[in-house]
Amino acid sequence: MATEIKLPRLGQGMESGTIVKWLKSEGDQVEKGEPLYELDTDKVTQEVEADASGVLLKIAVEEGEVAVGKTIAVIGEQGEEVAQSADGDSGGDDAQVEERVEEEGSPGAAREAERDEGRRAAAAEASHGNGGARQPTEGRVKASPLARRIARERGIDLAQVRGTGPDGRIVAEDVERAEKEAPAAPTVAAAAAGEIEVRRLSSVRRTIARRLTDAWQAPVFQLTVSVDMTQALSVVERLRTLHEQERPTVTDLLTKVSAAALIRHRDVNAHFVEDEIRVHPSANVGIAVAAPQGLVVPVIRGAERLAIAEIARARAELVGRARDNNLRREDLEAGTFTISNLGMFGIEQFIAVLNPPQVAILAVGSTEERVVVRDGGFVAVATMTATLTCDHRAVDGATGAEFLQTLKTLLEQPALAL
Amino acid sequence: MAELSYREAVRDALATALRKDDDVFIMGEDIAEMGGSMGVTQGLLDEFGPARIRNTPISEMAIVGAGIGAAMQGMRPIVEIMYEDFLTLSLEQIVNQAAKHRYMSGGQLKVPLTVRTQGGAGWSPGAQHAQQLEAWLVHVPGLKVVFPSTPSDVRGLLYASIYDDNPVVFFEHRTLYGLKEEVPDELERLELGRARVHREGDDVTVIATGRLVHEAMAAAREAESDGISVEVVDPRTLQPLDEETLVESVKKTNRCVVAHEAITRMGFGAEVAAVIQYQAFDWLDAPIERVGAKFAPLPFAPVMESFVVPHAEDVLAAVKRTVGK
Repeated sequence: MATEIKLPRLGQGMESGTIVKWLKSEGDQVEKGEPLYELDTDKVTQEVEADASGVLLKIAVEEGEVAVGKTIAVIGEQGEEVAQSADGDSGGDDAQVEERVEEEGSPGAAREAERDEGRRAAAAEASHGNGGARQPTEGRVKASPLARRIARERGIDLAQVRGTGPDGRIVAEDVERAEKEAPAAPTVAAAAAGEIEVRRLSSVRRTIARRLTDAWQAPVFQLTVSVDMTQALSVVERLRTLHEQERPTVTDLLTKVSAAALIRHRDVNAHFVEDEIRVHPSANVGIAVAAPQGLVVPVIRGAERLAIAEIARARAELVGRARDNNLRREDLEAGTFTISNLGMFGIEQFIAVLNPPQVAILAVGSTEERVVVRDGGFVAVATMTATLTCDHRAVDGATGAEFLQTLKTLLEQPALAL
Repeated sequence: MAELSYREAVRDALATALRKDDDVFIMGEDIAEMGGSMGVTQGLLDEFGPARIRNTPISEMAIVGAGIGAAMQGMRPIVEIMYEDFLTLSLEQIVNQAAKHRYMSGGQLKVPLTVRTQGGAGWSPGAQHAQQLEAWLVHVPGLKVVFPSTPSDVRGLLYASIYDDNPVVFFEHRTLYGLKEEVPDELERLELGRARVHREGDDVTVIATGRLVHEAMAAAREAESDGISVEVVDPRTLQPLDEETLVESVKKTNRCVVAHEAITRMGFGAEVAAVIQYQAFDWLDAPIERVGAKFAPLPFAPVMESFVVPHAEDVLAAVKRTVGK
């Protein structure tokens, strides 16, 4: 029987999602658990897996926004008639849906044959001494021992396999699926010197590419300010001795101070969506993190209500999860403003690209001693340059400038943030 | 085929050996007139008389010590330790004497002693009368350790234990005494060191002992309705351990849960997990899950006792974790 694929509710409060593109075409064979289409929700773009196996008989919604529960595709057997309701208008009509009852071969039995094959291969390999060139994967890939063995025996690079197990662990099925998908073993032949290395875009990379391209279409302007960080640095120093465990950083102070400034200039703490500006009551500050899988922006929610030590703790947790590729969906949701700090790389100043639908993003450079004219003389002052990128559709120049002025004042005299 | 309860099956194995062999006799606290605190030895005094069904003073060390002496002199004694919690009192005799004499005498002595005991939670006897201490004994070379979960197993394995020339510590589970099963008409020894596959499955192997075998079976039935095919294997004897059957099963299913009522930490399941991970490392598709009691003394309050020891739901949850559902 055909299975209607409906738009799933992937998070609390999700009413609809936008289908970005289908990864399969009508008529393609689809395996349960295989990525079927890309779905964009308010914060995350993700691949959604097929929840049945068979032939993709019909794609009811090619792309665009769809309500949760609406039928978007039908999977069934080759040549099967597609029910009328699958034309996309059925809404939540569950009566039309029938459970797929067809019994597939037991995966255990199916794997038994492969295991035998594996045993023979392993024996053959062992008898030839060291089984030849093995490609170590870079970094730590989470994979079960069985998945590792199958990958080793068949020359599959685990780094190219998407894990569907707990915490993204690659399990045997994933390797088997990857092998079916992969064209004739290009991973086995190592790239010769000078040859171009082709990397397929990961889901995260694709999301980054698409969202930032979107952001590039927004009319933006930048405002730059230099900040005397003398007091801010001494505050951070004091906080570190007070909170040895959390060890607050300049970024944590920036988060706190930005949150305070955002609450005073709420027009900057907003989303620009279609023809609305949504002004948020609370400052959910996103921190751009360079994670192994690419740029991610975990969010510290309600930062204006948190003490710096709390912010430091939350930040350490989020960054840890980001580095381990362990972020939860909710870690990335609901941001109202973003801070991108490249100061630790010695970058003096830079311009950040908007993180839509947010209307502003702060790019922070390094704090360094600069010569400043003061009282007719020269003094060396610890100075930081911050650049605010604003979406002009929502924020005018003066609004952005006032926000930045407050931010500067609060950083130069942190006590005023209280 | 007759249907016997677990209690009747133990009694049948004892009576058969007593009938067949004059060297067999039983000692223990209140085992004669009273028929044992669990009623297992009821009726044996009438048939075999006070010389062979012997009440003892309350001294576990003396009971086992006397059993060892008799065994070394050529008898096949069966001693009963009323609760396995009280095994602790006789450990000097079991660990330092029974387990060592054959080795230290260069094989000149043997100790064909069977130490029967029972334990297990589920009836609120509190912290000192329901522990599962089998892991203490499997650590000692020179002992065999048996823990049957069904009437046919307990009957055949006890009979084999009585006739084994080594000391055997034989664990029975209190809550299984009423459990019934068809047993063979002819009582035959079941080989010590052979696991029993209770149920075949493709996706996950649950290696369970004692009461948890039955909890695992219930979990397996439940999992089936979720499309997960569970194999349930009971090692039955913990020492010697049928590693081959356990490993083969996991190589087939690629996933493993170990389950017992004893406390998880340092429990028998830890050893099973080690055996599996070493011998089936390249076949594992998920971490080995462990199910057992929480690290706490057994509470007296029934709801709390139930909270501390594992049940079918816990096995089911572990099964689901291994398949990532």
